[in-house]
Amino acid sequence: MRRGFWPVAGWVYLGLLAVFSLLPMAWMLITSIKTQFAAIQFPPEWIPSHPTLDAYAELLSPSREIGRVFLRYLLNSLWVSTATTVLGVIVAVPAAYAFSRFRFPGRNLLFYAVLLRNMFPAVVFLMPLFIMMRWLGLVNTQFSLILTYLTFGLPLSIWLLKGFFDNIPIQLEQAARIDGASRFQAFLLVVMPLSSPGIIATAIYSFIQAWNEYVYALTFLNDDAKLTLPVGLQHFFTEYATNWPGLMAASFIMSVPVVAMFLVLQKYFVRALTDGAVKS
Amino acid sequence: MAEVRLENVRKGYGEALAVDDLSLTIADGEFVALVGPSGCGKTTTLNMIAGLLELDGGEISIDGRRVNDLDPKDRDIAMVFQNYALYPNKSVRKNLAFPLQMRGMARGEIARRVDEAARMLDIGHLLERRPRELSGGQQQRVALGRALVREPKVFLMDEPLSNLDAKLRVQMRSELKRFHQDLKATIVYVTHDQLEAMTMADRMAVMHGGKLQQYDTPERVYAHPANAFVASFVGSPAMNLIPARLTETGIAGDGWQLALPPALLARARQAGSAGVLLGVRHGAIGLLPAATPGAVEARVLTVEPTGDITFLNLRLGESALVASAAPDRHFTPGQPLWLEFDMARLHLFDAASELAL
Repeated sequence: MRRGFWPVAGWVYLGLLAVFSLLPMAWMLITSIKTQFAAIQFPPEWIPSHPTLDAYAELLSPSREIGRVFLRYLLNSLWVSTATTVLGVIVAVPAAYAFSRFRFPGRNLLFYAVLLRNMFPAVVFLMPLFIMMRWLGLVNTQFSLILTYLTFGLPLSIWLLKGFFDNIPIQLEQAARIDGASRFQAFLLVVMPLSSPGIIATAIYSFIQAWNEYVYALTFLNDDAKLTLPVGLQHFFTEYATNWPGLMAASFIMSVPVVAMFLVLQKYFVRALTDGAVKS
Repeated sequence: MAEVRLENVRKGYGEALAVDDLSLTIADGEFVALVGPSGCGKTTTLNMIAGLLELDGGEISIDGRRVNDLDPKDRDIAMVFQNYALYPNKSVRKNLAFPLQMRGMARGEIARRVDEAARMLDIGHLLERRPRELSGGQQQRVALGRALVREPKVFLMDEPLSNLDAKLRVQMRSELKRFHQDLKATIVYVTHDQLEAMTMADRMAVMHGGKLQQYDTPERVYAHPANAFVASFVGSPAMNLIPARLTETGIAGDGWQLALPPALLARARQAGSAGVLLGVRHGAIGLLPAATPGAVEARVLTVEPTGDITFLNLRLGESALVASAAPDRHFTPGQPLWLEFDMARLHLFDAASELAL
């Protein structure tokens, strides 16, 4: 095997990056299985001498006070993220298809207008959106979050999906229509399956965005029972300041869906972001 | 199978007319090629017959039924695309079955028809493969099979052979022709390749600039082109078109003159043409080594042997033309030659209208 300076340097670099990104997660995982006492011990134990799943048991049992609160946040987050994702796909797919296939006046203008949103940091819209939500009477509802996350996720979803649809030869749809499909059936039976990597990628993207979002959830919601996990965790932090294992266990549980989704669907994600092409 | 009738069909893109007042009748069981250079409106025409494009004017009927407002799926047609348009996520079997499933056919019947089409096209061993695992020729057959299974009234084909390599194209050409002979199917075939149209079609419709130029059998289009465009488009090498003017006894160009048969001359006179184009194919030019009465002098520019036949690029006055000779004759560039035209195979076109005289 050929060995030179650069491959070795590459491995060292990647190794450092891996340590850098994995260390906090390892620390989180280790702390979450420590006892309360071991968690604040100094110098810290790298490998817990008395590992315990107590923190998890407490968080996941609905009969306990902490568990009840945590599970409520978890459900809220799941609901908001799932609704955002489903609505996002329902809106983005036809929009991207229209941008890709139909020629209508103002098509380019509209397309760039959609993308324009992404040029500004999300925080810029915090106050205007808050005021709008107040007008609409949506402050302190989870629907306000779903709406907001939708508008943040849609530009990239539409842009990504348009690329996918652009790469599907129009002749495939024409063939389907001649073979007996209506325009909608041609879309459903031919275009959709071919663009599923793109649809899945955009769905994951919207889900993760919604799942992790903090600032809007903090601003729009004030009813404790409606909070999502990222904001909920902060409450944890202040209310149970000394409960490090509990906090870390909660963080770990929160990252599980994201990591799991990524592991299962990463090949679609990579495909969507790299080539996006469907060879005919 | 059915007759396809186009009446005064019109289609514009913005200002430009892609198809301009096209009337065409394709008889039941006929193989018609729509042929012309790119942008001539042939594919637009095919897409209108298919129902993929709406008409701006005129009427299309299939089997006596007006189809202007019918969806593609309701026209009972099948189409073979240039890029085959096979469903990439479906196996060959499912590609073939798709049009039948869409029509709600019973499973047993679908299986029977798919197997029959597979046998006919010799793709039985490919049924479980995906399109991307097939060669170009195999994909072509599957595309044909998908059109075939439905037993449609009309087959529409959009440059189906142009993505194949030259050898395969010749082979598929004869297969398509046999396919038409066996099925007696009505076929509308779009191609930019006049040779494909000549070799396969019962009749060819030559189009240019959205207008139908000539619609006739390949033999007649070749022998009697309706205008200078058709003359130069059909046949390879193209027919020579040499600008000339009418004289008392015939025509003359710069530095040459040629006596014409009285009948031909009379026709040209009657049309009142000031200038004419003399049309002559390479095969209608005899090459004489010495001055002869009735022959015009030209000079050899280049010699191109091809094996069966040798082509010569000649200079006649200020014009260039192509002639041919048997491969055993020898010519040198710069050498003078005397051209003897076969009067029966001469064409005259009006220089302004380019119409045949």
